[in-house]
Order: sequence, then C-alpha cells, then structure tokens
Amino acid sequence: MTTTAPQPVSPTTSPTAAGSRIRPVIPAKLDFAGVLGAEWRKLFSLRSTWWTLGLTVVLMTLMALGQAAGVTDSLDTPEGAATFVGLHGAELVTGGYQFGMLTIAVLGALLITGEYSTGMIRSTFAAVPTRLPVLAAKGIVLAAVTVVITAIAFVTSYAATAPILTDHDLVPSLTDPTTWQIAGGVTAFLVAAAMFALGIGTLLRSTAGSVTVVITTLLLLPGILQFITVDWVQDAMEYLPLPAATAFVTVSDAFGGAGDLTAWQGAAIVAAWAIVPIIAAAIMLGRRDA
Amino acid sequence: MIEATNLTKRYGDKTAVDSISFTIRPGTVTGFLGPNGAGKSTTMRMILGLDQPTSGTVTVNGKPYAEHATPLREVGALLEAKAVHPGRSAKAHLGTMAATHHIRAKRVDEVIELTGLAAVANKRVGGFSLGMGQRLGIASALLADPDTLILDEPVNGLDPDGVQWVRTLVRDLAAEGRTVFLSSHLMSEMAQTADQLLVIGKGRIITTGPVQEVIDSVLASTVRVRSPHATDLASLLEAAGATVTSPEPGTLDVRGLTGETIGDTAYTHHLALHELATQQASLEAAYMALTQDAVEYRSETTTPEPIPAGAPR
Repeated sequence: MTTTAPQPVSPTTSPTAAGSRIRPVIPAKLDFAGVLGAEWRKLFSLRSTWWTLGLTVVLMTLMALGQAAGVTDSLDTPEGAATFVGLHGAELVTGGYQFGMLTIAVLGALLITGEYSTGMIRSTFAAVPTRLPVLAAKGIVLAAVTVVITAIAFVTSYAATAPILTDHDLVPSLTDPTTWQIAGGVTAFLVAAAMFALGIGTLLRSTAGSVTVVITTLLLLPGILQFITVDWVQDAMEYLPLPAATAFVTVSDAFGGAGDLTAWQGAAIVAAWAIVPIIAAAIMLGRRDA
Repeated sequence: MIEATNLTKRYGDKTAVDSISFTIRPGTVTGFLGPNGAGKSTTMRMILGLDQPTSGTVTVNGKPYAEHATPLREVGALLEAKAVHPGRSAKAHLGTMAATHHIRAKRVDEVIELTGLAAVANKRVGGFSLGMGQRLGIASALLADPDTLILDEPVNGLDPDGVQWVRTLVRDLAAEGRTVFLSSHLMSEMAQTADQLLVIGKGRIITTGPVQEVIDSVLASTVRVRSPHATDLASLLEAAGATVTSPEPGTLDVRGLTGETIGDTAYTHHLALHELATQQASLEAAYMALTQDAVEYRSETTTPEPIPAGAPR
C-alpha cells in the first residue's frame, strides 16, 4: 500500500473520476465489427499475404493447364480413353487444388503463428482481451479470402485450359450442376484446409511446427501411406482430409472419385478435420498465457 | 487505479510473483523497481490479462482488464518493445490496433506526430532501431487516450532527448489525473520521474511508498562537515550517537545526526565550521541496498566486500 503523500489530484476509488478531466474524448468502441476490420487490415498489410495469394492463383492455374494438356494428350490413345472414362471437364479446371491447399494452409497457419513469433499477439490481446473474437475474426477473414482467391484461380484456370479442352469437348458447362458441385466442393475443401491450419497454428503457436504438421497431414501422409498396401492402413487413409475430399471434389475413377465414401461422408470427414482443431484452439486460447 | 490482491503466479515449481498486494493511484507516477527476474513483467502482463494469475486478483478501475467494454481506453500498455509484426509499417500497426476500437485515422496520425515517428510512419517496423520501437510502443499505448498507462522500461534504448521527452510526457499524463505505472532500471531517471515506488524482489514486495521516504528508510543521509577542529568535533559527535568517518584530514562524514544538531554542537563548543552540507542518499544506492538479497542473477565483482549500505559516495 502506498502511504499518504501529497497528491497532484486527490485520489478516489471511483473509476469514473478520471472521466471528469478536461481533455477531448477520443471516440473509441470495441466490437466484433472492429475486430473483423482489424484482422482484415492485418492480413493485407503484410507483403507475405500478397505473395502467397498471388502464388496460389499462379500455381493452381499452371497445374490445371499442365494436367489438362497431359490428360487430353492421353485421351487420343485407346488406353488413355479407357483410363479417363467418365472424366468431367471441371475436374481438369480445378486440377490445381492441391497446390492451393498447400499455400492457403500455410497462410492460415501464419495468420496466427506470425503473431506469436513476433510478439504481436500481446498487442492483439491487449486490444481484445476476451481473445475469442480474434480467432473468430481470423477464421472469417481467412475463409472469405480463400473463397475469393479460389474463385479467381478457377476463372484463370478456365481461361487457360479452355483452348485445350475445346478440342475434346471438355470445357465444363456452366449450366451443368456437376461443374458447380466440383467447383463448390474444391472451394469448401480449401476453406476447410485453411481452418485446419488456423486451428493447428493456434494450438502449436510455432510457425515451423504448425507448417510441418499441416503439410504432413494434408499432403505427405496420403502420399506415403498409399504405398503401404496393408488393408487397415488403406482403410484409415481414407479418413485423411485429402483422400476424404476426393469423394466430393471428383467424379471420375481416374481422379479417385470412386472411393468407398459417399460425397456426404467425405464432406463430413473433411468438416471434422476443420472443426475439431478450431474448437480445441478456441478452448485453449482463453486458458493459456499469451 | 490498479489494485492487486494476493497476486500470485507460479510457473511449475518456480514462483515468479508471490502473493503481492498493492494499489497504484491515479494522478501519480508509480515506479516499479526490481532486479531482472523479480516478477515485474509478469505482474504487468497479469494486469493486462495476458497471463492468468495462479491465485489472487488484479483489477483496473475496479474490474479485471478483460471485463472492460473499451479496454484500450482503460489501459495503454508498452510491454517490451516491438510487440509488433516486423513486416508491417508503424502506421499499419497502429491502424490495426485502432480498427478494433473504431478509432479514427486522424488519431493514429496524432500519436505518430506526438511520438516523433512521422518520418518513419510508412517504413516497416522490422528496420526500426530500439528507440523507434519504443516510440511506436508508446504511440500504441496512447492511442485510445487511456486513463491508465503501464510502461515497461519505456526509456530503454532512447537517446537523451527521448528520455527527457518520456519524463515530461509521463509527468504530464499523471498531472492530468491518469494512473502511470512504469518500470525502469535507470535509477536517476526514476528518481526524477516517479512520485511513488513499488520495489519487488524474488516475486515479493520489498518496500513501497513515496520516493524520498523509501530512500530515507534505507539509507540515512550523510552530513559532510569540514572543520579545523575535526578530531575534537568527531569525538563530540560520536558521543552524541553519530557514526563518523573521515575521508580525509579535516573532513568528516556524519550519519545519525542532522545538520542542525551538528551545527549547534559545534557552536556550543566554539568549534569553527568551514562546511556543513547534508547529502541525500541516491535512489540508486538505496535500491542497491534494498535488493541486495533479492538479486537473481548477480555478476561477481572483483571487489571482495560488497559496498556497505550507506557508504559515502
């Protein structure tokens, strides 16, 4: 306790006492719209965001173009035509989604690990001490950006592949529901991958650790496990995000669309991969020291 | 107003803050002193709700920080410089902070101007010097014009102009009725800036009170006496209960008696005085004496004996 001493202003226990001072009031009000706006500004005031988003569009387009060229080439042979029976043009237009999955997931992880590694998180939580709105705002901003950037990548991929696909009458029709099922499925999957990464990033806090876990789960495990031809490993592998996603982002056998899972089962599994880490992150966020 | 009650923070079996209670009042600058690892930063983080107390409570203006509707209006904080993403410009950083509270862009420009960052406002923070980082931290602390300021080492890395600017700023903020709570290792600076002190060591409060009272409670002031009759005077003063040392012939350092008593004694015995000067102990010396046992990381010195408390400077 401080002992009595001459004080410039008589001390008082009333919290409103300072409000009577004569100085202009700076208008300030904390609400969720403000937090959302702050997270939007945070994301787009970093150069790395622009790089990552630009890279996403470029890689998805180039991959779609390469795949479209390769597949349409092999369609000219009888064996190729047999392999790609049931092929839908939209599968080729969205063919770059695995690259998008990687760059978007890295962006999602960095969105929060970048704050922990730099100390920015303390400024963030000082402004929003209830914390949970920060995670919610990050999730909303990330989902919105993912939807928009995926849509842009589809447009560029559509334009880039159209000349090749025209020859084989594979340009996806915009009136065909299957086109929209595939495009919507890929978009939803990328949003889920972003949420998974954001959740893991919030839980692990470290950029290196989070990116490793995210890339391993999304890409490396499905790639490696397919060579382990033990039944239970193959069964388990279907429950990883990428194999589960093929149940609703593809329709032809060649792209893995004829797995054991129905489209809705696949969607449920992918949603679980997104939601469970986010819920765990939300629970831990309030409990741990920043 | 910041009130802590039995505030405790343990990390595993290490107790960083050990059941401390204190009140930081509005209208004053309260200096927070303590050796490295004493628990200062942990205490400040707990005030802001960044760290959860293991037990005990701390409130700002009557409520836990997180329960305030407009947190940045309640407390502006500078916690270790560069709690900032290095890839963002100073202006963008302040802009994101301002956005959470719908604070206008005009106010962002104002604090940039006020903290002298106008020339570098659009540069990325990664390239900032420590001093510029501190100014940015102070700018974000002032952003919503808070009633309480918590500043952890605000002058660290600032040039002499900057140090003086922070001193004036902090005094002005307190004069406007705000609560200012700041830590610093610069004792001379603290002595000039703070009204009240809160000294902690090993997570416990060592002492608290107005600056001069704290100094006086630890170190008695010394009276420097010069006299042609120094030897005679020394025995008289020792008889009166003083501790007398003689740094050089004809000069005495007297502790335990006031200048008035010494002067009167000399007058009564017809001993001439050439100098009679009361010397206040410095905050630094008082701090050293206070925290001697509480220093966590002490470097060995080549001096075999520690300087005794109250040794002449």
